This record gives sequence, C-alpha cells and structure tokens, in this order.
Amino acid sequence: MLAPPATETLVVGCGNLLRGDDAVGPVLIRLLADRDLPAGVRLVDGGTAGMDVAFAMRGVPRVILVDASAVGVEPGTVHRVPGEHLVDLTPPEGNLHRFRWDQALGFAQWLLKDDYPDEITVWLVEGGSFEIGAPLSEPVQAAVARVADAIVAEVGAGAASRG
Amino acid sequence: MTTMDLNVSPLGQVEGDLDVRVTITDGVVTDAWTEAAMFRGFEIILRGKDPQAGLIMTPRICGICGGSHLYKACYALDTAWGTHVPPNATRVRNLGQITETLQSVPRYFYAIMGPDLTAAQYAGAPSYAEAARRFAPYVGTSYQKGVTLSQLPVEVYAIFGGQWPHSSFMIPGGVMCAPTLSDITRSHAILDHWAREWLEGDWLGCSVDRYLEIRTWDDFLAWCDENESQHNSDLAFFTRYAQEIGLDTYGAGYGNFLATGTFLNPELYTNPTVDGRNAALMSRAGIYAGGEYFDFDHMRVTEDITHSFFRGTGSLHPWEGVTDPIDPEEGRKQGKYTWAKSPRYDVPGKGYVPLEVGPLARQVMADRPGAEAHQDYDPFVADMIAKAGVNVMTRVLARMHEEAKYFRYAKQWLAEIDLHDDFYTKPAEPRSGKGFGATEAARGALADWIVIEDGKIANYQVITPTAWNIGPRDGSENHGPMEQAFIGAPVENPDFPVELAQVAHSFDSCLVCTVHAYDGKTGRQLAQFTMGGG
Repeated sequence: MLAPPATETLVVGCGNLLRGDDAVGPVLIRLLADRDLPAGVRLVDGGTAGMDVAFAMRGVPRVILVDASAVGVEPGTVHRVPGEHLVDLTPPEGNLHRFRWDQALGFAQWLLKDDYPDEITVWLVEGGSFEIGAPLSEPVQAAVARVADAIVAEVGAGAASRG
Repeated sequence: MTTMDLNVSPLGQVEGDLDVRVTITDGVVTDAWTEAAMFRGFEIILRGKDPQAGLIMTPRICGICGGSHLYKACYALDTAWGTHVPPNATRVRNLGQITETLQSVPRYFYAIMGPDLTAAQYAGAPSYAEAARRFAPYVGTSYQKGVTLSQLPVEVYAIFGGQWPHSSFMIPGGVMCAPTLSDITRSHAILDHWAREWLEGDWLGCSVDRYLEIRTWDDFLAWCDENESQHNSDLAFFTRYAQEIGLDTYGAGYGNFLATGTFLNPELYTNPTVDGRNAALMSRAGIYAGGEYFDFDHMRVTEDITHSFFRGTGSLHPWEGVTDPIDPEEGRKQGKYTWAKSPRYDVPGKGYVPLEVGPLARQVMADRPGAEAHQDYDPFVADMIAKAGVNVMTRVLARMHEEAKYFRYAKQWLAEIDLHDDFYTKPAEPRSGKGFGATEAARGALADWIVIEDGKIANYQVITPTAWNIGPRDGSENHGPMEQAFIGAPVENPDFPVELAQVAHSFDSCLVCTVHAYDGKTGRQLAQFTMGGG
C-alpha cells in the first residue's frame, strides 16, 4: 500500500526556476509533460529539494536526471554522462538546503540499497546566465528542446524494446 | 578588522550563504556578526507581474519549505481579493503545511544535529558511544530509520498536492485537487505507519497520547524514566546526553519571541481577512517580550536596513518596503555588512525589540492564557524554559515536541474532510488590493505582504524565519537574535568550535553557515570553517 506505482523510467529535472539557466531541468519537465510518452514514464520536477531526488528513485530501474552545469564551456552545450561517474558519497551534513543531486546519488546508494536504479543517466546543459529572475538564455532554450527530443526517443525506444 | 571572504553559493540554490563572525575572549564568545553573503531579489522579480505569480515563485525560494511558502502566498491573495475558502480547502492546506513540517523535523534532527552530537570533542562524555551508535551519519541505528522514514509525511502532501516539493496546488479560493476516499485512507495509513515506526517507535517509546499528557518540565523528566521503553527512546536519550555535553548551558539569546501563528480553523476562516486572522488561528500568533504577551499586529512589522546593503537607513512596513540594493563596497563605508534586512516588531511601550522566531516562539504563545476552544493551549515548553532556560537543548526539544502535536492535527483534518463538499470557490479578481498571508514554517514565522494595483503586483515583500533570526544589528545597535545567542557560548577548541555549530543549528536556519572566529585580544583569526564540513 505504501509503495509508489510501478515506474519503468523516472525523469527528474533539477534546478531553480528563479535562477536563469538553472531552470533548465524544471523547464524540460514541462516540455516533456506535453509530449506523448509511454506509460511507465514518470516525470518529476525535482527543483532544489536534493534529498528527495533519492527518495523518488526507489525501485525504479531507469533514471534520467537533467540539470544545468557551469563547467565553463559554450552555453547550450549538452553532456550526457553515466550516473556512476557523478556520485558524491559525502553524507548530508550541516544544512539540507545545500544538498545536491550528485550527493543524492551517493545518499540513494545507502538509502535504497537493492532498490537503487540499474541505470542512471545524467544530462547536463551548460548555462550561460544564472541571474535571478532571468528567463532561459537563447542557446539553453534551443538545447532544452534538443534534450527533450533525445529523451523522448530514448524512453520511446525503451518501451518498445521491452514490448 | 580583518577583511572578509565572500562565499559563492552552490549552484541551484537561492538561499545564499551566511558568514558568522565571532570574537572569542578567554574561551567565550564576546561578540558576533551574521553576514548574509548573497543578494535575494524576489521582491524585484515579482513587481509588475500577475498577482498570482507569488504562488509559483515563492515556493521556489526554498527546496525545504516550499509548501510553507505556498500556504502564506495563497492567504496573501485570499485577503487581498476577499475570497471565499471552503472548510475542506483549509483542511487540505493545513495538511500540506503540517506534513511538510513533519518531514522536515526528523531530517533536521538526524542529518543536522546528529553529526554535531557525535563530534570528536564529546568523546569523553559518558554516553558518547551510545550517541555514536544511534546518531552517526548513515550507520547510526536511529539515523537510518529516522531519515529513511522521513519521506512518508510528504507522500501525503503529494497525494493532495500532486508532488512535493514545489507544488502550486493551493490557489486563491481553495485548493486544486479532488481527493477520493482511497486518497484519505491511504493518507491515514501512511501517517500511521510513520508514527508507529518512527514517532512512537523510536522517538517517543510510547503512544502520542501518553506523551502529550506532559504539561510541565517535571512531568517530562518523570516521563523520561517512567519505563524502559521511554528511557531508551531517542528523545529521552537526547535529553540526558544534551545535559552531559552542556547543550543546556548556552545559546540563550534574548528570550523574546514572535510567532505569526498558523493552521487556520477550517470553519472560522471561510472569508479570510487580515483582521480576522488571529482569532481563527489554531497555533496562535503573538509576541512575548520582557515577560509580557502582546497580540500580533502585522502593521507593527518593519524591516530595518541601517546595516543592510540597501539604499538609506531606517525602517519601513513591508507594504511600503523598498528593495533598492547598493554595491556592498559602498555599503561597507556606511557601516552596512549584510544582504539580510533586519525585521523588527514595534512592541507597544518597548519599541523595536529583536524577537526570535521558531518552535520556542510558537510554544511560548501556546502557553498564553485565553485560548479559545479551537486554539492550541499547551504549557509544557513555557514551563520547560522557565525551569531549564532558553538554550540549545530546549530549542531542539521544543521543535521535537511539535511532532507529536502536529501528528494529531494531521489525523484530525484528514478525518474531517467531507468528500461531498467543495474544495474551491472561484474568486472575483479585483484589480487592486492589499494582502497579508502568514504561516509557521518548521523554522518559524514566514509571511508575505502584497500590494496589487491595476491588476499587477505593485509591491511584494517576503519575510522569512531565517531573516528574523539571522538579521543584523538594527538602527539602535541591538544584536540580531542569533547574534545574541552566540554571545556567551564557550569555545573549547577554537580550531573546531562545535559549540558555535550547535547554536547555529539549533535555529535550523536556511543558510549554510561559515564561521570565522577571531581572538578578542589580538584580532587574529583563529579559525574558519563551514558547518557541516562542505
């Protein structure tokens, strides 16, 4: 009774709508909500509640995380990274407001144990401006549409191959 | 004075960082300055937007208290527009607010206080090994259960609100949801499971009903040793251990409090007005200063910017509030030192007394005589601080005490929901008006003030609990409440002043604290560390 409904693929968009290009994750979730997705795909606007990303992944075989990055490359650049390369094992301490999804992955390995997802993919969209109150910048606006198409293709293919 | 470093906040958060500067003389903190290192511009973003923008934007201010932001933003509009809110909608809104707090508090205790309690400095305490067995991050027996089960209350939030965090399901005139009987029974089952496994199981070691028979500090101490199960509970253990490591001896602050109150009575607030709010509250609003109680009147709230990086000096009511940032370099020349404004309340006959907000404040108001039948009357915490003082331990105990009370409220509202009645009344949308909405986030008083002109937001101000607590000195050079609470704290090891972490964490503030400690005699910097080791 307490278990969430069966989810094959969970897409989590992380970031803050109030901080310019950091909104890319939540914006992507809104784009995907308007698309025709296979049953078994669940969309979550993870916002800035880092620890809850871990709870949302419980028992889901495949997780796709989307967030903004600020690694210093051209804004709008998209990276697709296997989750295992990004796990941060630092325990959550001091202040839960600073809890990020990379810590959430480490936290989830402890929390979920056998219920930890088999496959985690992280899409990172390089931001140009993180100014408070600004909309998505043009290159990021274009990139988020590309990422949405790519994810639709991925989850669509996933559902078909599982029959 | 030594130059300060500004921290860069981690991407994705808007809360910003908090620098705490303390002077230590002969092993005791003698002065303190709290500096919020980031500018927050929500008020500027909201100006000129659709009146309902606050419902979408303010829950994004915080990844922890989004439901609280939504609750008060909604009431700000309800009062500005003069809506009708069906009793069912108030029950669901109350459930949203309360489940978020039920989730937040155990996470706070195990993930924030837990690591402090197992700090190496305390290795000499008689119960240290037991503290480590229970509270060590990840491996502690209580840590595991408390953190793992903390998700359950917000599953109830998600049943009504669609998702947690960042839902916007509370709207002027009600809530956007149509619960079914199975939603209600599922919510009961989730909360019962959580209470059985954690609240009653690990935390109290007895039923909620038994625990809530406690009315005094003596009752509480007797309860701790009443039987083996209660003696071994996390609550009784924490209380013993806190005294071993001296958490009952520092962190006092002013002992003056403000609560904006929360949980509107569903039947008594169907036509929300600012003036009718105090009487309709279940968890009461109020001021306690210099040993006297005063009614809460939002018109007496101002924000002082004398020491904040905003143009000018002095205080304005939030409806008139101005957010006009200046270059911090310029500001420093004028004696300004923080991005936080300093909220103050004009207490009748006493003036602008700094007031602490949070669980102690709420529970001190709960002891005020004259509660109506629908209002919470509870003398326990007020008696506790009369006997044991205001300190780190009692601030934590007050917060934890509310879990049992709130569980009972949550169950009551779930049981009262009438599935055949309305959850929403479509409001008129007048093109002008002024509104005030408030609640109590887990960390304390949270309120919005809105001014609507020509169908657009003309002014919007948010005062958060962290602003009340960590605000700077005001125009009369009174310390902010948390600044004051640091003063007098002992610091045994200046290289790792765990005592300062304990004080800061006892407020459960929304900012990541970096502490800079200075020697009071030489001005030499003794240590700089970020609480929580990040």
